[in-house]
Amino acid sequence: METGKTREPIQEVFPRDPSRTYGLMELVRGTSPMVDKGPEDTVMSWPNLLVLELLAALGTSVVLLLWSAFVKAPLRELANPNVTENPAKAAWYFLSLQELLLHMHPALAGLIIPGLVIVLLMAVPYIDRSKKDVGIWFASKKGRLIAVGSAVYTFIWLLGLVLFDEFVRVRSIVAEPELWPGWVIPIIVVGGLIILLYVVIRRWRPSRREVLIGLFTAFVTTYFTLTIVGIFFRGMGMHLVWPWDLPPGALPF
Amino acid sequence: MTTKNHSVADIITRNRVWRSIFRQGYPADDENRARAIMNSWFLHIHPVKVKLHSLKLTYTWGLGVISFVLFLILVVTGAWLMFFYVPSVQSAYTDIQNLDTAVTFGALMRSLHRWSAHLMVVVVFLHLCRVFFTGGYKRPREFNWVIGVLLWVVTMLLSFTGYLLPWDQLSYWAITVSTNIVGAFPLIGEALRQLLLGAAEAGPPALVRFYALHIAVLPVVMTILIGIHFWRIRKDGGLSSPSEASENEYGDR
Repeated sequence: METGKTREPIQEVFPRDPSRTYGLMELVRGTSPMVDKGPEDTVMSWPNLLVLELLAALGTSVVLLLWSAFVKAPLRELANPNVTENPAKAAWYFLSLQELLLHMHPALAGLIIPGLVIVLLMAVPYIDRSKKDVGIWFASKKGRLIAVGSAVYTFIWLLGLVLFDEFVRVRSIVAEPELWPGWVIPIIVVGGLIILLYVVIRRWRPSRREVLIGLFTAFVTTYFTLTIVGIFFRGMGMHLVWPWDLPPGALPF
Repeated sequence: MTTKNHSVADIITRNRVWRSIFRQGYPADDENRARAIMNSWFLHIHPVKVKLHSLKLTYTWGLGVISFVLFLILVVTGAWLMFFYVPSVQSAYTDIQNLDTAVTFGALMRSLHRWSAHLMVVVVFLHLCRVFFTGGYKRPREFNWVIGVLLWVVTMLLSFTGYLLPWDQLSYWAITVSTNIVGAFPLIGEALRQLLLGAAEAGPPALVRFYALHIAVLPVVMTILIGIHFWRIRKDGGLSSPSEASENEYGDR
C-alpha cells in the first residue's frame, strides 16, 4: 500500500530554516487522516493474530481439561420437594441478587435494580460520547484514582450495610408498614450512597467518562462483594457465618 | 513453489482436490497470508492486517477470544451430553449418574461442560469490564457494546437453564429460589413464574421447558448475537485503540 509518504531521509520535525519567515506558533491536539494509521502500525493477521488465538484456545482447553480431570462436577441427592435445602442458594452469579433480597422487597431486588443496571449499562456509550481517550485503561491517572476510590468507598459501605442488617436489622427498628423496610429505606440508602459517590467524584472535576468509571466501578465492586458474601459467608437461614463454619453443601457449586 | 521433491506435504498439497479447497499456496509470503484469510470461510471474519495495538496482551487479555473458545467447548460437550440425557423427571437424575459412572469419558465431559459454563460467566463479565475500562464502547462501537451486554445476560440465562437439568437437590432449590424471586414481581410476577415452570412448582414441565431453552432457543439466540458481535468488530474498524482518540469528534464538552 502506498501512503504518499516521501522517501527522503528522516529529518528534524521542525528544522530551523533561516529563509523561512514563519515559525512554529503552537501545538494543538488533533489527527490527520493517516496519523498512526499507516501500514507500519499493522501486521499480517496470519500468523500474528491467528497464533495468539490458537494459543488462547489451547491454553483454555488444557486448563479446563486438567481441572475437569481432577475435579468432578457435583451431583447432590435426587431432587426432593419435601426436603428443603438450608441454605437454599441460587446459582452463584445470582447470589448478589439473593443478597439484595434479604434487605429489600423482592420486586426491587429481583427486577427493578437488575433491570436498571442492564438498561444503564446499555446506555453507557450514549451518555459518554467523547472520543478523547479511547483505548486508554481508566482514561487517565485521575480515572484510575476515581476507580480505586469508588471501589474502596463501595466496599466499606457494603460491609457496613450487610453487617448492620445482620446484627442490628432494619426490620427490628422499622417493621411496619412493609413499605418502609421493603422500599423506602433501601431506596433512600442505595440512592443516597450513589448520589453521595457522584457528588464526591464531581469534586475531582472529572470528564463524563471518568464519572462513569466511578459509577461502573461501584457496580462491579457491589456485584463482586455481594457474590462473595453470598457464596462464602451465608449459612443456615442465610445468616452470616465464617466460610469454615458453613454447613455441608452450602457452597452453590 | 518449486517442483523438486516428492515429500509427503507435496503429495498432499499438489493435486486438484487440495487445490480445489485451498486456493492459495502455503502462507509463507504476504500475498498468500492475505489470501489464506480472505479465501477461508472460517478466517474471513478477520481482517488481512491487524493493528499491532490490538495484539497487546495487556490491552485485551484475550478475554473475548477465550469467551468464544468456552462457548465452542460448551457446544461440543453439550451436544455430546445430549446423547445420554433425557429431560424427564423419571430419568434425568439416573442419566447423570450413568454419565458419571458407566459412560466412557462421561464424568470428564460433564465436568468439562459444568466448569466451562462457570468459567464463561466469569470471563464474559471480565471481558465486559475490559471493554468498559478501556473506553471500547465509544463511537462507532456503541451498538456492539449493547450487543455485548445482551451476550452477558444470555450467558447467564444459558447457565441458569442448564442448572436445573441434573435434577438434584442443588438444581431443584436453586431454580425454586430464583423463580420465587420472579414470582414476587408486582402484577406479572406469578404469571411469569408459571410460564417458566409450566406449573405451580418446579416439576416435569419445568424440566422440559428449561431443557428446550437450554439446548435450542438460547444457543440460537447466542449464536446470532455472537455473529453480529464479531461482524460488527470488523465493520467498526477492529478493536479500539488510542490512535482513534480525538478531541472534537463530538461537541460534547
